[in-house]
Amino acid sequence: MAALRSAEEKLLAVVKSRLRGRYIDIGNSVGNKKCKIWTLSLNEASKCLPLVMLHGFASGVGLWCMNFDAFASTRPVHAFDILGFGRSSRPSFSSDALEAEGQMVQSIEDWRKAMGLEEFILMGHSMGGFLAASYAIRFPDRVKHLILADPWGFPEKPINQEKFNIPTWVRVIATVLQPFNPLWGVRAAGPLGPKLVAKIRPDLIKKFSSIIPNSDEVIPNYIYHCNAQTPSGESAFHAMMAQFGWAKYPMINRIDSLNKEIPITLIYGSRSWVDQTPGNEIKAKRPDSYVEIQAINGAGHHVYADRPENFNHLVNIACDSTEHGSLFTTN
Amino acid sequence: MNVSFAGCGFLGIYHVGVASCFKKYAPNLFVDKTAGASAGAIAACCLLCNSPLGQITSDVIRVASQARAKTLGPFNPTFNITKILRSGLEEILPENCHEIVNGKLHVSLTRVYDRRNVIISHFESKEDLIQALLCSAFIPFFSGYFPPKFRGVRYADGGFSDNLPVLDENTITVSPFCGESDICPQDSNVSLLQINLANTSIELSRENLYRMARILFPPEPEILSRMCQQGFDDALKFLQRNQLISCTRCLSVTSTFQLSQTVEETLRHDLECTDCKVQRQVALLDSLPETVTSILQEAIDSANKGLVNWVFRHRGSSLISVLALPYVLPRDIAHATFLRFCDAIPKLTGDFAQLALSLVKFIVAVIKKMNDKREQFSAKFSCQLAITEYREYDMPGAINFIRNKYNFDFTFDLNNGGLPHSQSEALSLNTQAAEDYLQHHYQPLHAIQEDGQGEKPLAESHHDDTFEQILEVTSHQDAVMAYYYLDSKNQVKVKEIFDVTDADTSAILAPEERVQNADLQFDSFIEGEKYESSCNWQLAGDPDEAYLDTFQMDASDFTKEMNVNERGSPSDHEASYMIFES
Repeated sequence: MAALRSAEEKLLAVVKSRLRGRYIDIGNSVGNKKCKIWTLSLNEASKCLPLVMLHGFASGVGLWCMNFDAFASTRPVHAFDILGFGRSSRPSFSSDALEAEGQMVQSIEDWRKAMGLEEFILMGHSMGGFLAASYAIRFPDRVKHLILADPWGFPEKPINQEKFNIPTWVRVIATVLQPFNPLWGVRAAGPLGPKLVAKIRPDLIKKFSSIIPNSDEVIPNYIYHCNAQTPSGESAFHAMMAQFGWAKYPMINRIDSLNKEIPITLIYGSRSWVDQTPGNEIKAKRPDSYVEIQAINGAGHHVYADRPENFNHLVNIACDSTEHGSLFTTN
Repeated sequence: MNVSFAGCGFLGIYHVGVASCFKKYAPNLFVDKTAGASAGAIAACCLLCNSPLGQITSDVIRVASQARAKTLGPFNPTFNITKILRSGLEEILPENCHEIVNGKLHVSLTRVYDRRNVIISHFESKEDLIQALLCSAFIPFFSGYFPPKFRGVRYADGGFSDNLPVLDENTITVSPFCGESDICPQDSNVSLLQINLANTSIELSRENLYRMARILFPPEPEILSRMCQQGFDDALKFLQRNQLISCTRCLSVTSTFQLSQTVEETLRHDLECTDCKVQRQVALLDSLPETVTSILQEAIDSANKGLVNWVFRHRGSSLISVLALPYVLPRDIAHATFLRFCDAIPKLTGDFAQLALSLVKFIVAVIKKMNDKREQFSAKFSCQLAITEYREYDMPGAINFIRNKYNFDFTFDLNNGGLPHSQSEALSLNTQAAEDYLQHHYQPLHAIQEDGQGEKPLAESHHDDTFEQILEVTSHQDAVMAYYYLDSKNQVKVKEIFDVTDADTSAILAPEERVQNADLQFDSFIEGEKYESSCNWQLAGDPDEAYLDTFQMDASDFTKEMNVNERGSPSDHEASYMIFES
């Protein structure tokens, strides 16, 4: 935990705005254990609509370091490590997909109560996007705008659409790896973990290399320590998954139950592996609502880090127009 | 806009699909640069040179089926991918290809000695360009053992350092692996986990796992065809998404503005053209161009039709091929080695001569060293003596001519005994042992003629000698022959042979014999010669050398003719050779 803290500090050193980091007690709603959520707040004095950020799978608040300044220039920004990830507590979640999802969403609501926030703009990346959508469905009154950055878990798993006959050996490997948590390999590497991360994801380092002095050390360290501890959030995520990468209960089927009042902005990376068709589907399903789809050229799954300027700009536009009530005119 | 192709071995067929889509719907995209590594570099080069797609497709399929046909697949020693690629490129690329691609094509290479990435974009000749492409496609142990040289430096596959060179922010990346590239397949099995190998993002999905295995081991033509189609579809999707498809009229307009306008502006221009819209609608339903599909279909058909193919597709046949591996492989290896050797001969003649020379030197040195260390010699000492005795009787009327001939021939094989280790040791003499030795090895080969009463063997007369006689003879006479040899106790023996036939001493001969002997004529040369030779032996300091000589005396040297007194009994008058040990 101390290693994670120092790694995070190194990452956040590039943020120019004043940062306040603290643990928020959310009680014992999950796993009958006192849980705390690590929260970063910026520009708390501002009276504008706050922005709440949910990070993606296997990462933490630190990776938003290239976006904080841009968002915090006008409004309060709160980013926290989702329960079971980063520096937050790691209670054991249910192994049932819906229950685990419910527990996660509940922890966000508990956090909101503890923070005393009434309304906010909710932004989620990847798995955070899935949770954000789930939260918005359950607590529609709190969310003024749902921003989904390359969200995971929206499309439904296609029925047997394999492009070629997958040979037996590949099936065997996949079946053997199925029960493992996605990042078991990184943990299994032990002290070599940061090196392994650097080896298999040099692209992550590259994304941050322009602003972080020794990113080739800081980034792998941070990612490794985010995931080196008890993988409780990872297990919950694993429970929500059906086979490698698909959501058991895809959000596209549940988006109908989302309050029509809530505007949605989807920001995709053009190169990302995330399927962009659900964006269009959502738009078709919600003809009376605001749905904006943006694709950032040249950006991968980590849109916020691949093209930070474009991303910050799009998010700021969405936030500002929500605030000024000018959304529906732009649609 | 720039396009970058990922290196991917046999999955390069995907690039063919992408290229055919670009050629058909967006030929204006390629005024700028292309880049690539390995198969991607070849694709990028072919794209710039506007090479015929049909031929490339058939080449890829031919190479793939060649690789599939052999045991161990492409790892079969007779499968030489570099050679195939070279001949293919030489055929496909135009003569002025280096001028076309200069400054546009960026080939990613990995420098072997520091494993750094090098991007080459200027080429002096077609040969230069082909060499760069081959370097970029060199996978150690797969393509060969030693990386090829480009301008004097050894390079290996660009995929080891930068598999997907990105030239600028607007580079379109093309990769046959599902991952974060502009044009890449979208797998049905998505996965949150990705890895990034040499700048190529690869999702950890089942399909990608399968594709990775197919980089070096080409799949069946059917799957190759599907991959090609996939490339076409993905490229089309990309063009659609970015509104890059336009009608021929708009194409001509945009191409004239290309220098000053950015692509963004031409896009807006496109959107208003109804023809472009129609074109986009048509493209939705389109698939690979005819030239490519016909070749693919042919390959699929030839792989599926026929009894032989049916047999080979069966599981049992693959089992048999695995079982036959130990028998087939050595033959293949021998075949390949021979072929490579033949290829290398013209290059190697100089080296080979040098190699042979150094080999001979080495052998000589080894032999010398062995001689120094282990003094083992094979020496034979053989001596042949022929003694002929003539006896004449002066009795009238009776022609009683007796002729005796002693031929002896003896051989010492010095290998039977040990050898002296030093000069001093060699000189310490042991008479009895030498005697035994001589007797043991003394083999009278034959007495050619025995007339009359015959002769007493020489050895008997030897026994008759007394010590006084011996002393007498040795002190007054010079030895006819003296020699040294080694006995079983590692001691050098000296033997001196005295010719007592003409010895004029009373110790040996009776008075009447002496008178007769005085009349005999001897060839003095013989004595002198023999004496000298014994001298030489002693003078020769190194006993080894002396032993090495096979000492053979010509029998004629010792053939003596004598007239012996008619009255003398054979025993009295025989020519006696006394052998003394001293």
